[in-house]
Amino acid sequence: MSLLFKSREAQTTSQNKSVFLQVYFFVITVLRQGVNSLGEMWRTPMASMMTILVLGLSLTLPATLYIVVKNVQQVSSGFNDAAEISLFVKESMSEQQTQTLAKRLALYPEVADVKLISKSQALDEFKRISGFGQALDYLEENPLPNVVLVTPTDRYRKPQAAQQLLDKLEKEREVEFGKLDIEWLERLNALLSLLKESVVTIALLLLSAVILIIGNTIRLSIMDKKEEIQVLKLVGATNTFIHTPFIWTGIWYGIVGGLVAFISVALMLWWLESAVSMVAGVYQSSFVLQGLNLNELMILLLLAITLGFGGSFLSVHRYIKDIEPDKV
Amino acid sequence: MIKFDQVSKTYPGGHRALEKVSFELGNGELAFLTGHSGAGKSTLLKLISVMERPSAGHVFINGVDLNGVSNRQIPFVRRDIGIIFQNHRLLERYNVFDNVALPLVIEGMHHKHIAKRVHAALDKVGLLDKVRCQPSTLSGGEQQRVGIARAIVNSPPLLLADEPTGNLDPELSMEILKLFEDFNRHGTAVLIATHDLGLIARMKYRSLTLNHGRMSQDPLMEGGL
Repeated sequence: MSLLFKSREAQTTSQNKSVFLQVYFFVITVLRQGVNSLGEMWRTPMASMMTILVLGLSLTLPATLYIVVKNVQQVSSGFNDAAEISLFVKESMSEQQTQTLAKRLALYPEVADVKLISKSQALDEFKRISGFGQALDYLEENPLPNVVLVTPTDRYRKPQAAQQLLDKLEKEREVEFGKLDIEWLERLNALLSLLKESVVTIALLLLSAVILIIGNTIRLSIMDKKEEIQVLKLVGATNTFIHTPFIWTGIWYGIVGGLVAFISVALMLWWLESAVSMVAGVYQSSFVLQGLNLNELMILLLLAITLGFGGSFLSVHRYIKDIEPDKV
Repeated sequence: MIKFDQVSKTYPGGHRALEKVSFELGNGELAFLTGHSGAGKSTLLKLISVMERPSAGHVFINGVDLNGVSNRQIPFVRRDIGIIFQNHRLLERYNVFDNVALPLVIEGMHHKHIAKRVHAALDKVGLLDKVRCQPSTLSGGEQQRVGIARAIVNSPPLLLADEPTGNLDPELSMEILKLFEDFNRHGTAVLIATHDLGLIARMKYRSLTLNHGRMSQDPLMEGGL
């Protein structure tokens, strides 16, 4: 591509190149620069290692926090039936009326399931569990009310929605009052959302640190190659040509840093696994510690690559334009 | 090939490096650019390679006004100009082959064409046997010739040289100048900035003299009139 000498076109390699071929050669050049910059990192292993480890650790922390949130959510999702609503039926209502109530409630769109516990069932259960056993036989009549257990649909299991549903159900004429033990659920949910939000904040801070680390590493490497950049500019290299190797370096840092983070998370989980299963055993829970799955690994890598690209992009655009060949 | 039309260059801070310089270098011409140090030789070369922009006036290469060249287009201007430096500016990280191949790699030329051209360029400067050496293992004269090979490897129609013989003894200087003469015979326009007046005297080429930023009378041009 000759700007000044049109007749030169004929002798340079750009002759008769179709757009497709030009794009092809451009891609080949960019890929070749990518391989070269990987080779260059390989030639300075110590410096590259340090940066990669710092990046790896900076990415490990948010990944770990993410795993904590994920596992806590897994645990708390087992507490769904906590949002069960107990409706105590008025004493004046007969068995028949209670059953129609249960049938009616089952038709509510907010209700997933309805279970009727009659007075006698409740009393049997109470005898069995409480240990008062025979003492209860002395009662002249059953003091327990009929109870309808209502399980709301998913949407109505959240504390606020469940409360609204409770208010609605209490308006039923057969219902004495209803009960929803949601206070502890509210607390748990509040804690969870606090945890999630702090994780997001900490992750954002650490990810900005990653951008800055990569940006600074690339800046140092640009300063180190000042002479080379000047010469490249003198012999007619475009900005794209000069920028690409540095961008690649940032991307490689991202990829390797992301892998380091993945490996350290995996190691940490492996280390914690036996301790966790012991705790789960004590609580008679079938809880299994969840690690990063393939999708999440891909997201982690993609994020790391994006950060690597972002950091090097910022540095390259900020610092390379200042390096001009001012001495002929 | 090169035409300066009333070109002035004032650096920030008020230093006037060039004042209303006008001259013309024909196609395939070889000329010397002389003057005391600080006379504006380097500035003049920088204006041709668009490292600096003129404060006033126009610089033309092959009829194209460089004022109309955008910053993005500068690399493509430089690909048409071979530039040779006093301190040769080779990249120490690469060997001779890679240094000379640089302008071709930048153009995205295919590998096998690159090898052919690099060998041809090194052959011209007589360093074909040093193709795999590191620049630092070469003598000053050899390094300078590698720099020249890099400048001519993509056969630019215009060669600029800034004090190409500055660090060399007279014998080596003569060799380098012979190289330039050779390229010139093949049609390349050459402009050599030097303060080595003895060298110029031994060769009968046109010489442009700068004095405190002004172009002195050009004896050859006068003779032509």
